[in-house]
Amino acid sequence: MTKATTRRFFFLGTLLFTLVFIGLTIQTHTTISARTHDETLTDAVKRGLHVWAAYNCENCHTLLGEGAYYAPDLTQIVAQRGEVYLGQFLADPSRFYSETRNGRLMPTLGLSQQQIQDVIAFLGWVGKIDTNGWPPRPLVVSGVSVRGLPGVETSATAQGPAARGQAIFNGRGACSTCHAVAGDTVLVGPSLAQVAVRAGERVTDPAYTGKAKDAQGYLRESILDPSAFLVPGDRFSTPVHTSLMPGSYSTQLTGEQVDDLVAYLTTLD
Amino acid sequence: MIYRSQRVAYFYFLAALVLFALQVAFGFLLIAKYLGPDPLLYVVNFATAKEIHTNLLLVWLLTGFMGAAYYLVPEESRTEIHSETLAWVQLGLWLAIGVTTIVGYLFGVTEGRKFLEMPFALKLGVVVVFVIFLYNVAMTIRNAGRFTTTEGILIGGLASAALLFVPGLIPFDNYTLDRFYRWWVVHLWVEGVWELIQGGLLAFLLIRLSGADREVLEKWLYVIVGLTFLSGILGTGHHYYWIGTPRYWLWVGGVFSALEPLAFLGMAAYAYNTLRRSGLAHPNTTALHWTIGSALFSTLGAGILGLSHTWPQVNRWTHGTHITTMHGHMAFFGAYVMIVLAIITYSLPALTGRSDEERQTGLGLWAFWLMVGGMFGMTMAFAASGITQTYLERILGLGYLETQQKIQVHYLMVLGAGTIFATGVALFLIDFVRAGAPETATRAVPAITVAAR
Repeated sequence: MTKATTRRFFFLGTLLFTLVFIGLTIQTHTTISARTHDETLTDAVKRGLHVWAAYNCENCHTLLGEGAYYAPDLTQIVAQRGEVYLGQFLADPSRFYSETRNGRLMPTLGLSQQQIQDVIAFLGWVGKIDTNGWPPRPLVVSGVSVRGLPGVETSATAQGPAARGQAIFNGRGACSTCHAVAGDTVLVGPSLAQVAVRAGERVTDPAYTGKAKDAQGYLRESILDPSAFLVPGDRFSTPVHTSLMPGSYSTQLTGEQVDDLVAYLTTLD
Repeated sequence: MIYRSQRVAYFYFLAALVLFALQVAFGFLLIAKYLGPDPLLYVVNFATAKEIHTNLLLVWLLTGFMGAAYYLVPEESRTEIHSETLAWVQLGLWLAIGVTTIVGYLFGVTEGRKFLEMPFALKLGVVVVFVIFLYNVAMTIRNAGRFTTTEGILIGGLASAALLFVPGLIPFDNYTLDRFYRWWVVHLWVEGVWELIQGGLLAFLLIRLSGADREVLEKWLYVIVGLTFLSGILGTGHHYYWIGTPRYWLWVGGVFSALEPLAFLGMAAYAYNTLRRSGLAHPNTTALHWTIGSALFSTLGAGILGLSHTWPQVNRWTHGTHITTMHGHMAFFGAYVMIVLAIITYSLPALTGRSDEERQTGLGLWAFWLMVGGMFGMTMAFAASGITQTYLERILGLGYLETQQKIQVHYLMVLGAGTIFATGVALFLIDFVRAGAPETATRAVPAITVAAR
């Protein structure tokens, strides 16, 4: 083998693989529009990307798994937390997290309401990108809801309403990313230990202003219309009396799934 | 020093080392924030400290590469640099851009794209610097009429790096496309054209340190850089698994990434065989340590630790964890930090007008072993934290924040190993300063006899 041979190997090889790479790049471009739902890439989403960049978010957080590793991944954060909560959180993170309790705290960035709405729109759009199935399991910001090893957790085909409800709680509904089932553990929303007992007491309380008549009805109402009645205090609602819980479950879950979920919640002790 | 104008390299190296020390200082700030609590949350937050840490790395390595080119090109082409003034202007402009960027970061002026945070106007300044540099080097080679393969590979790497900087200048509204082209810069730099720079410098050092036959070395150099591109170009695919790009990238990225260690294994075998066969004992053994170290550590850091998480079935669980930090630290250190420190250690006696024997210090070797040991320790600590994080957070489903609290002990280990590393950096700087001021033109004569011996 002479130097001329190896030089040829280098130049021809590089040329060949560069051409293949450029070809694949062109092919990739033809797919991006569909894979990222280009029609939903609104002006707010575009502005949100600029907010994301200008405030250097990816040098703490990861998004699609890319960035820095000092703060949680935000790929599915809008689906997990809802826009109302995120709006409140971004205005003042110290209302929900503390350095002593959680180890880390996000600084208050002083974002305007417009910037907050835009960055949430951007994150919501990112959450719908076709990522070839990543992450394989939901990534949660905080929580101790160890759900067992892959393959042995309760599946959606489980028998019985409560078992099916548990699968929704931990899976599709993403309830476990905000609510703990252990007592005294506040993740984002209140702990749901003994929630049925409290629900039963609540509906008979004169201060209760919702429409439910019994514990099951109260739980249904809380899932489908979280702002129908707000427990006094500022931890779980906005100053304008909106619950921080996502209001999207009435469209996200079927009636039967809500029934299963209520059945599961009544079993929590 | 054979050519008077080579002395400009000394000042590039000095600037590079100062920025290196600053990078390490910011590394301490980052690990302190990992350990918490963070009293500087509203002074220098993590994101700012992190972008300064990574940007200083890129800036000081590029400063070192440019200095290396100004040292190497005159010797390879056997002529003075075309314009020493232009080399000075280039250094001044480069450092002004660098300092402005870092100060800007402290005041929140950033584009917020990891590794490419520099504001657009300053990025254009970087392009100007590269144009000045490439013009100056091209004119030097043209004036001499002598162009070696070794310098060709080095300059080819630097020119391609400048070219690949351009996709990073284009703004995209679609985040997936933004990510796609960010990797054209970042991946194709560090796992592509920068390896040409490493290969060129390695070949130069091996020729000088071992006295091996240039024709043979340059022949194999083509094989190594050929393998780098064969695997590295399509290996970009390992960044295209989960960002919204088509599924076939899982196959393309997986297969070609698996080939990436070949280039590094080739490089290690190349360095080892060259020195084994030559039987020559060059007096600058410290430079020899850094040179061989670079070939071996890049095989471990970039080759093997890279491979440990580029296979898609592994990466879907480890993506975005400290496994990346583990690989990143040893890969950058082995492939680029060590090769720059090798060329600095090799050229310093000539640049300061001393003989190699006179410059052989215990301090220099201590610096080598402390840095190597410290980096190995940091890499292992990040590996432990990354593996634990993957199992707790990604597989079991524990929350991010709870997981972080469980792996604090590994950050303490990073701090310990980092302290050993920083001691090595400090010793390297002391050794550099002790070598004395760069040789002036009038003292050039004895140096010629040293270098030509």
